[in-house]
Amino acid sequence: MSDLVLKIENLTKTYKLGKRDVQPLTNLDLEVKKGEFTAIMGPSGSGKTTLLNVIGCIDKASSGKVLIDNVDIAKLPESKLYKIRRDKIGFIFQNFNLVPYLNARENVELAMELAGKFKGQRKQRAKDLLATVGLSGREQHRPQRLSQGEQQRVAIARALANDPAIILADEPTGNLDIANKQEIVKLLADLNQKQGTTIIMVTHDEQVAAQTQRKLFLSDGKISEDKQAQIETPFISQSKSKETF
Amino acid sequence: MGILTRAIRNISRRKTRALIVIIALSLALTLLIVLPPNINVSTKNVKGVINALTANANYVNSTVTLAATEIDGNLGTNFSLGSFLNGAYGNVNTTKVFTQYNTVSITDYSGLNKIPDVSTVIPVLEQNVPQLTYGEVDGVPLDNASLLKDYPSILPANIIEGRNLQADDSGVVILQQNLANIYNVTVGSTFNISGTNFKVVGIEGPEAVNTTYVTMSLADAQALTNTTGQASDFKIYVDNVDNVNSVATRITSEYPKLQVSEGLSQVNSVQQVLTLVNQQVQTAQNVMNQIQNNGLIEISIAVIADIAIILFMMLYSVRERTREIGTLKAMGASNTTILGQFIFEGVLLSVMAAVVALVIGGFGATTLAKLLLPHPTIIFPSAPGSNSGMMLWFTNYATVTPELVLEGLGVAVLLGALGSLYPALKAARTRPAEAMRYE
Repeated sequence: MSDLVLKIENLTKTYKLGKRDVQPLTNLDLEVKKGEFTAIMGPSGSGKTTLLNVIGCIDKASSGKVLIDNVDIAKLPESKLYKIRRDKIGFIFQNFNLVPYLNARENVELAMELAGKFKGQRKQRAKDLLATVGLSGREQHRPQRLSQGEQQRVAIARALANDPAIILADEPTGNLDIANKQEIVKLLADLNQKQGTTIIMVTHDEQVAAQTQRKLFLSDGKISEDKQAQIETPFISQSKSKETF
Repeated sequence: MGILTRAIRNISRRKTRALIVIIALSLALTLLIVLPPNINVSTKNVKGVINALTANANYVNSTVTLAATEIDGNLGTNFSLGSFLNGAYGNVNTTKVFTQYNTVSITDYSGLNKIPDVSTVIPVLEQNVPQLTYGEVDGVPLDNASLLKDYPSILPANIIEGRNLQADDSGVVILQQNLANIYNVTVGSTFNISGTNFKVVGIEGPEAVNTTYVTMSLADAQALTNTTGQASDFKIYVDNVDNVNSVATRITSEYPKLQVSEGLSQVNSVQQVLTLVNQQVQTAQNVMNQIQNNGLIEISIAVIADIAIILFMMLYSVRERTREIGTLKAMGASNTTILGQFIFEGVLLSVMAAVVALVIGGFGATTLAKLLLPHPTIIFPSAPGSNSGMMLWFTNYATVTPELVLEGLGVAVLLGALGSLYPALKAARTRPAEAMRYE
């Protein structure tokens, strides 16, 4: 799997909901190549977030293999999983999940601090990343003084901080208005196209999913491919011509 | 931005809550900072009282010179001034008041033996020798082995080096330790008194009163002081305690020169005082126990309160920040990082409270100690027959010293860590997927 950044084989996830066993993922197979921008769609409760959590090592597979950069994370104990989360994964959440008592730069720096990077190094990189997401001059603002769109940009900068192998975005536009939604998707698409960042995005929004290279549907615990989604959209073409990194 | 910055930012997010917690913690910590040193000081005070009482009891005990069945009949003393060359003060002439013990012929007092109920009369000689600047000679009869066996109390009681006098000893002496130190004499040395050499065979331990006797045979003492056949004192032993009073009365009437002391009354008087002293020692010990028990209870309450405040505060904080914990874990924070973050916050809160506590303690340590610890008054008499006594109360209290500041901060760190350990473990063990779903 030289150009595969993620390979999932026979992934099953079962958990208990009260006395009932729920199986959102059943013998699921998936391959994601390096540099792909993939959208995963599906109805509510179809297991999109569960899949993302398993890939992001914040939930455990019940069975099957999940290989990230050839390492089977399904078999790793928690004492090793946190390093995968830290070094290989960047999370973007629907609710941004910024640390409220830290400013924008410090939120981005926090990810690097956890990775043991030196202060000078991480401060400069945090500023650069915030500039990349269009937040130059807003570094000192705490989350409550930023708009929702800006907060999500900080979250994107934070996700990029440690150069992860995969960015996992869970409904990143779910809490945003239309204008901000477009901005954020454009930003993610540009990151993907200009920097080759691998992004797996869960969304229920057709318009947002349409901006990605690859659209997958999750239903009955299994993934199916939608070939049409691989057609480049006018929105991404637009961003190519305007944005430079 | 490190762990400290994050901890400070998080604490300062909820200023009112942090302030209330810090004040509550500081009150508990104030007790922990103020009480232990004051308990130590109070315990030390009471121990001092107990030592004083014990010393007093020892002194009172040492005033008992007669056994219950013993009557001391001595011939009193005169005083005379003597001049001598005092080597200790650079060969200058010194004038000293000498106690002159009156003596009588032993034969003239042989009738003492014939008084009914008297079992034995032992003549002894106490004399001052002008040349023996710091001591006096004590002569006891050593020519009767069976007498020594039956009445060993006439010999020095506390030999700490060498041996005691024994029957038929001659030319040998026992020195009391005070005197041996003054004259730099040890067992085996030759000790010269007024031109006569004596061999030192033993050293007698000092009594509570600073006495300086040289004890030798009665014959040697008489020869040394030109009082052959004479005695200054008669130890009269009565066959039964019940007869002591009647014998003493008869001696007084028949031998008016003898000043009579009854062993029985001396013993009774001393016994009363000793009983009182022992009661006071018991009281002092009770006081010490009371101080320690009260202190221990108050310290325990303060420790529990301190830990409980931190525990609940941090548990609340963990619950409130569940999503944040989930986010940190999703970003790659290890369990150890999360554990360290929350313990550090608990410790920081506790240290902030300790600073406030040290300020409170600095101003109010004495007042708090007075309020929280017993500080009783103990009264005890000094000696038999004396109207004067001592009254003790505690006025010295521990104050906030630099050592106490360090100790206080140390206690704060320890309790902060203990109180936040469980919440921090709970935070560290939080499963990120669940934490992310937490509303």
